[in-house]
Amino acid sequence: MIEPQVNYIQQIYRIIIALIVIWFINLIWPFISDVILMLVFAFLFTTLLLSSVDRFERKIGNRGLSVLSVVIILLTCVSTFIGSFVSQISIQAQEFSERVDQTTMVNEFRSLGDKATSAMPSFMKSEESSSDYLANKLTEITQSVLGSLGSLVSTVGNFMFIAIMVFIFTIILLSEYHKFKKSLVNSIPNKYFEVGLKLIYNIEKSVSSYLKGQFLSAASVGGMSIAGLLLLNFFGANITLVIFIGIIAGLANLIPLVGPFVGMVPALLIAFMNNLGNDAATSHMFLGTIPSPFFSIDIIFMFLIVQQIEGNLITPALVGKSVGLHPMLVMIVLLIGGTLLGPLGMLFAVPASGVIKVIIKEIAFVRRNAHLL
Amino acid sequence: MKSAKWENIFKGWNNSESETVHTLKKIPVFRNLSSKDFGELENMMHRRDYKAGDFIFKNRAPGEGMYIIMRGSIKITIGTRSGNENILAELEKGEFFGELALFDDEPRSANAIAIEDCKLLGFFTQDLMILQERNPVLGHKIMFNLGGLLGERLRKTNHMLIKEQSK
Repeated sequence: MIEPQVNYIQQIYRIIIALIVIWFINLIWPFISDVILMLVFAFLFTTLLLSSVDRFERKIGNRGLSVLSVVIILLTCVSTFIGSFVSQISIQAQEFSERVDQTTMVNEFRSLGDKATSAMPSFMKSEESSSDYLANKLTEITQSVLGSLGSLVSTVGNFMFIAIMVFIFTIILLSEYHKFKKSLVNSIPNKYFEVGLKLIYNIEKSVSSYLKGQFLSAASVGGMSIAGLLLLNFFGANITLVIFIGIIAGLANLIPLVGPFVGMVPALLIAFMNNLGNDAATSHMFLGTIPSPFFSIDIIFMFLIVQQIEGNLITPALVGKSVGLHPMLVMIVLLIGGTLLGPLGMLFAVPASGVIKVIIKEIAFVRRNAHLL
Repeated sequence: MKSAKWENIFKGWNNSESETVHTLKKIPVFRNLSSKDFGELENMMHRRDYKAGDFIFKNRAPGEGMYIIMRGSIKITIGTRSGNENILAELEKGEFFGELALFDDEPRSANAIAIEDCKLLGFFTQDLMILQERNPVLGHKIMFNLGGLLGERLRKTNHMLIKEQSK
């Protein structure tokens, strides 16, 4: 008769402890959130690079040197990409500013407005000169975009700090990963040892296959975007930096839902910069019927096709299966992640829920087999 | 003074074998491996300490892998300790048990209990999977050895069956 009472008290005791833990985490969260974010990123990078480092280590026979080699190769690739992208884009921006001053831009927008108005059905045209309105509005938007670039520069400093810290954490994790894992495994009591080992392995597998799937799907988006842009160029779209746009579209695709739209922005900007003043491009019609100034509708349509192929064929095959979550659940989890942490929350929502799923599954397994452990 | 850096540079100069490698070399599952392979295996092995009377695993518990006895001794039993305990085998230093769990998802078929304080090395399905991914050649060697071991046992069982039938 005493046992149920003891259990009841134990339950209350556990709930109180859980509430205290939640309250404490909530209290210290503002101070540790950045560090945790850095550690999560470092863990993800480590998961991605670990197999390469291990392979190098087997050949070289020295962990430190193999980490150094992989990091140097990675840094060379990233810095070459960023360096050449920045230099290309600055050349492009310089050419653009030399070619087009503000008056020319307003005139261009005005003529664009005129063309757009003339293409509209008569009931949609307002009495007031819509070309002036459109030109001013577009100039306003362009100037606000350029203005916001200033604030973007100010956040670069903060980003650089986070990037350097993530880089340092990644190097430490890469060099000591197996030791860290071993100490974690060693700390598991004998009773739960085999279950704990299985849990760690399944978490690693889930995160690693998710990341591999994501990167393969990002590479496919990049490849398809490059092919699509080259096809548009064949029809006279005059889009430069095609490979960079493709890579950015691929990388942006890592952020679910929002990413694909971010990917098309550079393509639209470059098409606009390259074709401003080109009458043929300004009056271009998509499929001969819909006005598509600077090939904008063509570009959006091309990216939508790429997203459909990626979303309906590639990702379900590569990523969905790796995490094993229902598509409906993925959407809900993405919305929760986005609401709580913004784009970063969306980026981590799916792998985090995959990990939580593995943990819940193993806890259920332990509870089911508790008498045998 | 002992420096980690110098220790790292001269790693491998000292050829004296560790206790783990010495134990692993006696196990048929790891025969015909190079010293480099043993080095990699040594890093993968899980060292666990059990007190006398501790369960290493229980009958019908989900099994994940094999154990190698580095120090001490264990007994394989069926039934509980309170009365109907049936000891199937007593294993000592350098012997191994539970290797079938490396292949199948079936639960353990007996209890393994420490007779005295012992130090065991654990090698599990997850380790074998990781090994297959990272060093397939070594992974295949171990799988081949395990296959050979099971084949040998099957042959012995067949001989025993034939003997029994011919009686």
